[in-house]
Amino acid sequence: MNDIGEFTLLVALATALYGCVAYVMSARGNRIDLYLSADKTPFIVWACVTISSICLWKAFLTDDFSLQYVWAYSNIELDTFYKVSSFWGGQKGSLLFWTLLLTTYMLVVYFQNRKKNLRVVPYAMAVMLAIVVFFLFLINFSTNPFERIPLPPEDGRGLNPLLQNYWMVIHPPTLYLGYVGFTVPFAFAVAALISKNLDDSWIRLTRKWTLISWFFLCMGNLFGASWAYVELGWGGYWAWDPVENAAFMPLLIATAFLHSVMIQEKKDMMKVWNMSLILLTFAMTIFGTFITRSGLIQSVHTFDEATLGYYFLAFLFVIIAACSALIIARLPLLKSANELDSFLSRESSFLFNNLVLLGIAFATFWGTIFPIISEAVRGVKITVGPPFYNQVNVPIGLALLALIGIGPVIAWRRATLSNLKKNFLKPVTAGIIAAVALFPVIPLGNRAEIYTYVTFVLCVFVLTSILTEFYKGTVSRMGLHEESVVGALTTVTWRNKRRYGGYIVHIGVVLIFAGIAGSQAYGTHTEKHLKMGESFEIRGYTITYKKLVAIEATSIKTRIIAQLAVERDGKPYWTGHPEKEFYKGQNQPVSEVDVLSTWKEDLYMILADFREDESATIKVYVNPMVCWMWTGGWIIAFGTMNSMWPDRLEQRRRLDRVRKQEQLFPSPAQE
Amino acid sequence: MKTIKIVAVLIAMMWVSMGQVSIVRAGALLQDLENQLMCKCDDKCGKVLINCTCSTSDKTRAKFSKMLESGITVEQIVKMQVDEYGETVLSAPSKFGFNLTAWMTPFVALVAGGFGVRKVLQSWVGKKGDSDSVETPVAEPKVSEKYSKRLKDELDGIEL
Repeated sequence: MNDIGEFTLLVALATALYGCVAYVMSARGNRIDLYLSADKTPFIVWACVTISSICLWKAFLTDDFSLQYVWAYSNIELDTFYKVSSFWGGQKGSLLFWTLLLTTYMLVVYFQNRKKNLRVVPYAMAVMLAIVVFFLFLINFSTNPFERIPLPPEDGRGLNPLLQNYWMVIHPPTLYLGYVGFTVPFAFAVAALISKNLDDSWIRLTRKWTLISWFFLCMGNLFGASWAYVELGWGGYWAWDPVENAAFMPLLIATAFLHSVMIQEKKDMMKVWNMSLILLTFAMTIFGTFITRSGLIQSVHTFDEATLGYYFLAFLFVIIAACSALIIARLPLLKSANELDSFLSRESSFLFNNLVLLGIAFATFWGTIFPIISEAVRGVKITVGPPFYNQVNVPIGLALLALIGIGPVIAWRRATLSNLKKNFLKPVTAGIIAAVALFPVIPLGNRAEIYTYVTFVLCVFVLTSILTEFYKGTVSRMGLHEESVVGALTTVTWRNKRRYGGYIVHIGVVLIFAGIAGSQAYGTHTEKHLKMGESFEIRGYTITYKKLVAIEATSIKTRIIAQLAVERDGKPYWTGHPEKEFYKGQNQPVSEVDVLSTWKEDLYMILADFREDESATIKVYVNPMVCWMWTGGWIIAFGTMNSMWPDRLEQRRRLDRVRKQEQLFPSPAQE
Repeated sequence: MKTIKIVAVLIAMMWVSMGQVSIVRAGALLQDLENQLMCKCDDKCGKVLINCTCSTSDKTRAKFSKMLESGITVEQIVKMQVDEYGETVLSAPSKFGFNLTAWMTPFVALVAGGFGVRKVLQSWVGKKGDSDSVETPVAEPKVSEKYSKRLKDELDGIEL
């Protein structure tokens, strides 16, 4: 099986290389024979990579330690669940997994578009195949997951205990689906540049792909935060680690892109800008892999054998140089009649939204690379950690939050003073009421608390502005069609999926902002060393240490579990079971926290230490509003689904628009 | 005017409260210290001390607690750590010398971007104004002014 896996990877590389060249030649020379031949390659490449992946999975599931990769990331005792996820636990397998997802996306694009857009699709397929070639080259010649051990050991080294968590099965694939997904809009953008088809058709073709990728990247970030929260045991969820930043930056740029393409679709403007944004988004996904796989920037996420940095750096350089050259070459064609009716319009607010999103992305990028710059300039390596990002990004983030509220209520084309007054009255009033109501309640003792206060006020302003939009749509529908409130609201949301889906996503974002603000400013924690039966209090909770239990979970894992009874107002409330897990052959034990999550706050317990006399050190955090963030994530998921759902009405409207335009401006043949 | 007054009063109240409220929390100094320093364990975990859960970080915390109790200030401890490990022990760049560029650059870029966007918008709005003036037909009689105003008012009220 391993030979088959290795061989199919070589076949995939050769086929992808051929397909890439053949697609380009067929498009340039109008050669149908070459096109028909090239058109078979996406499927063959996908099939080969899939077979190879199945071979590697089989090696994990059958404990084939003759493969160095399986030996390094698995062992006999490892749960089957984690043997499956060990596939992407290390650099070699993760690259193969990336390629598997990339070829799968490519296959779907191929089936979707093979019989249409023949001027653009061959180039798009060629770009995707070129990217596949890069990854397959690395897998075949630099980090082959099928590398053998001459004398296979009886057991493997095992998977890092921190990775033995159910999020390991969910978080990396979700994040990869996001990262890899941006290859599709990128490929179509490059194809549009090469083929000179520079209207908004490439945006419409790839809109759903962009949304899907954005959705997965967003969820991947949230799942990662959730994983860090329950696994790393420090009571937080985001540490501004370089690799976290690497996943955050493309998300911000893609968000800017998703907003600015609306202006191109509506007004045929900002073509160069949109092109640049999608190219930058893709470049950032490659920058993320560069960080993880170079070992150049210190990160908890870096792979043990991070040696591929220079390949990715070279690839990044080629992409940026080639795309910049293409954009410059096509500048005359990308020029559009950029005209705006007024400075005060939704178009302008989108430009400022783009500025702020890119501002946060740039600040994050700058902080990530500053240690390298410092070392190059001064010869001193420094650290850029959370205090930097919190101080720089929080004020810019608040400006973004305000813009989320301003966007929906400001009119397209031209906002006048009268409609500004009318549209802003309710949100601003709600914001002022919130500011006055919260003032005596919220402590304002330090910068974090002041920021939190401002965040809450802005959240109320934004929520009111979004809910007013729903209210206006619902009332107007009720008046016209005599529908019930629920019926009208559902119809309005369903019939304008894109618009209202976007608003739902914004509600989710508001909840995330509120959750971050609340948990960052008002959290508290304490650490106590207790003997059995002793208690302590934290924010109204009385926590009593009951007992310590040791369990031999497997031959390599021992669990030490503390039982903590929680009382509130003198009544039993909950029993927490934080634990420490000891793995044979690992220096550090792993903390498994126990969390009681409510809308108000999380009670987060860690077994920090224990002694032979069965006394234990217990660390307890009370983290307010963390649950709001996860709920915000699910609302974003719902809103994105709503936005992505096929909209026949929208298609019909677009068709009508095109027909009308054709009637107004008949082609020379029709004349 | 009334709104401006309300906002002004609110801002004034905020500043007053900032001066008055000084909530001293237990362990705040240690927390401050943990936020400023990185964990220096052998595993090179790359975490800020406050976020780290390894055994080295526990020992470091205990050591810092004792130092704070003995009257050594946060600044002195930070200086000792920098002397021992170099600037890399700090969780964020200092705010002087070359490191100041780390803090300034994002805001400089944002402000420059803001001016850029403003300039772009001005040129786009100006272009529209120019093209409008070219295309505008000769002035119609007063009747059309009346209807134009009504049309403009109604269009203003429409949300597309």
